[in-house]
Amino acid sequence: MKILIIEDEKALQESIQKYMEHQGYICEAASDFRSGMEKISEFAYDCIIVDIGLPYGSGLEIVREIKKMELKGGIIIISAKNALEDKLKGFEFGSDDYLTKPFHLSELNARVTAIIRRRNLGGSKMIPFNEIELDAEAQRVTVNKNAIDLTEKEYQLLEYFIVNQRRVLTKAAIAEHIWGDEYVQVSNYDFIYTHIKNLRKKLVDAGSDDYIKTVYGSGYRFTDN
Amino acid sequence: MRLVTKTTIYFLIALVPLLTAAGFYLIKQFNKEINNRSDKELLTNEIQWIRYLQSQVENSTTVILKTTEISIFPVDAPTTIYPGLTDTYEYNENLKTRVPYRQLIHHVSIHGLPYLISIKKSQEQKAVLVANVTRIMLFVFAGLFVSTLVFNWAISRNLWKPFKNSLQKIRSAELQKMEAIHFEDTNVKEFNELNASLNYMTRKIYTDYVNMKEFTENAAHEMQTPLAVVQSKLELLLQDSNLKDDQVQSILQASSALSRLGKLNQGLLLLAKIENNQFETKEAVSITETIKKYLSLFDELIQDKQLVVETNYENDLHLPLHPFLADSLVTNLLGNAIKYNYEKGKILIVTKHQEMSISNTGAPEPLPSVNLFRRFNTSKNAGETSNGLGLAIVKKITEAIGIDIFYHADNGMHHFVLKKQGDGR
Repeated sequence: MKILIIEDEKALQESIQKYMEHQGYICEAASDFRSGMEKISEFAYDCIIVDIGLPYGSGLEIVREIKKMELKGGIIIISAKNALEDKLKGFEFGSDDYLTKPFHLSELNARVTAIIRRRNLGGSKMIPFNEIELDAEAQRVTVNKNAIDLTEKEYQLLEYFIVNQRRVLTKAAIAEHIWGDEYVQVSNYDFIYTHIKNLRKKLVDAGSDDYIKTVYGSGYRFTDN
Repeated sequence: MRLVTKTTIYFLIALVPLLTAAGFYLIKQFNKEINNRSDKELLTNEIQWIRYLQSQVENSTTVILKTTEISIFPVDAPTTIYPGLTDTYEYNENLKTRVPYRQLIHHVSIHGLPYLISIKKSQEQKAVLVANVTRIMLFVFAGLFVSTLVFNWAISRNLWKPFKNSLQKIRSAELQKMEAIHFEDTNVKEFNELNASLNYMTRKIYTDYVNMKEFTENAAHEMQTPLAVVQSKLELLLQDSNLKDDQVQSILQASSALSRLGKLNQGLLLLAKIENNQFETKEAVSITETIKKYLSLFDELIQDKQLVVETNYENDLHLPLHPFLADSLVTNLLGNAIKYNYEKGKILIVTKHQEMSISNTGAPEPLPSVNLFRRFNTSKNAGETSNGLGLAIVKKITEAIGIDIFYHADNGMHHFVLKKQGDGR
């Protein structure tokens, strides 16, 4: 899977690249409108991450160009502006998603993965992890081919864990991904604990290894080593 | 005290000694005049009496005369060159009052014989005069008093009209609309100076306000990218398996502080956007539906705290709000009702045609209502999930669409009430 990152802030571009490469993607990066357009016309990408505010042109223009060229890759806009008009324009021009800075890399990864999976029309919608397998379309989970019954939140939690496997995930990132910003405003992150406990129990009861590791009280990691 | 009242009082205070002095002067002048005239009469009388005495003494007759007004008799006393003229008072049996007299006393030598001549003249008219002058003075004073009041009132009404106009404009001035305010020229120099200063001031206030608003928005906006950089770097750092426990702990803490900063920044941006009217509203949104949506979203939290939620949707309340702002309004109020509640507490939600209220059990003490809706006015027990912007955002949203929000507390219940303003827009 190949990803293009068009972001003028070098440090952020590198972070994204590093994280995505860790998750098994092949990444290329561009720092301005022109080099971004060059890359797009020369190579094919499965997903393009594009910032709106770029030197020599707007990221929205890139989105429009991509659509004109009828490329098959997905597009996700990342912007410092949480402006509704930009969001709507982005979707209108053909972007698949919109993420406001600052964001968690794990969140970006989850969204990119989801876009690629959705666009991969003929391909498999299954997400495997050792003995666990997620059916992204039906939102069903099997452990050793035996279906287990998860709540919606538990499913989302598991999917987020597997997509960001082996990475340390902060409670904030998990809470925002599954419950949303508004929820996080109202409560501390303690409510996550119950859900993780239940998920862990269901997985272990179904015969899976215990992959969910607590990281010093403030984060979690889903890993098999 | 009104300015007119004050000038009138000062004027009258200045008038009292002036009129008194004038009165005294008048009395004194009249007095002098009257005395002069009486004195002349007395002296003429005396001369006639002396002539009469001289003729009698030549005939070796001794004259002794005593009436109420005149007494003439020989005395054994040294003579005086000039007659003495004095004021005296005497009791008058008929009038039952003391009457002023002008008296002439003279020791004269008539052909070597010393005589005393004493002539008195009543000056009743003098008392009448003082009374008259005083009356006139009082009359003048009263007249001046009334006319001063009337004139001052009439003049000030006219004179202060431009001032009152300006004052009215200042009173109704709103920060957001200050650009449109202009204080016109008048035909009074002082008011022109005032209005020029006011024009300068409002312009300055408005540009400062715009600058500040832009600054807030730009600052918050420019901060997003560096925040994104730091957040991503911390997240990457966290993946390093060689880190020690306490290092991971530090990174996580830094990351959570950074999250809060990000939220704060977004809140400030939202406030700035509402102030800039960046949320255009095309149609009214149902607040009841929004509440229902968030009650189900927050259901888990409500269950977790075992809160009892009572809803009474008498009528659907529609507000001309952008859906995003409606969400923000409801999540902030409902969120607070959950967050600052105790376990097994209660939440009461009522929507009516013109109002909506969200009430909750919570701290026994009412919240200090001063500055309650101001940004960063966080109470001590708000905890770290509060960024001090929630109620400020709520207030801004209500202001933007011209509805009122009130807070009150009774019996340990905290009520937040939204009300459409009078005309029922």
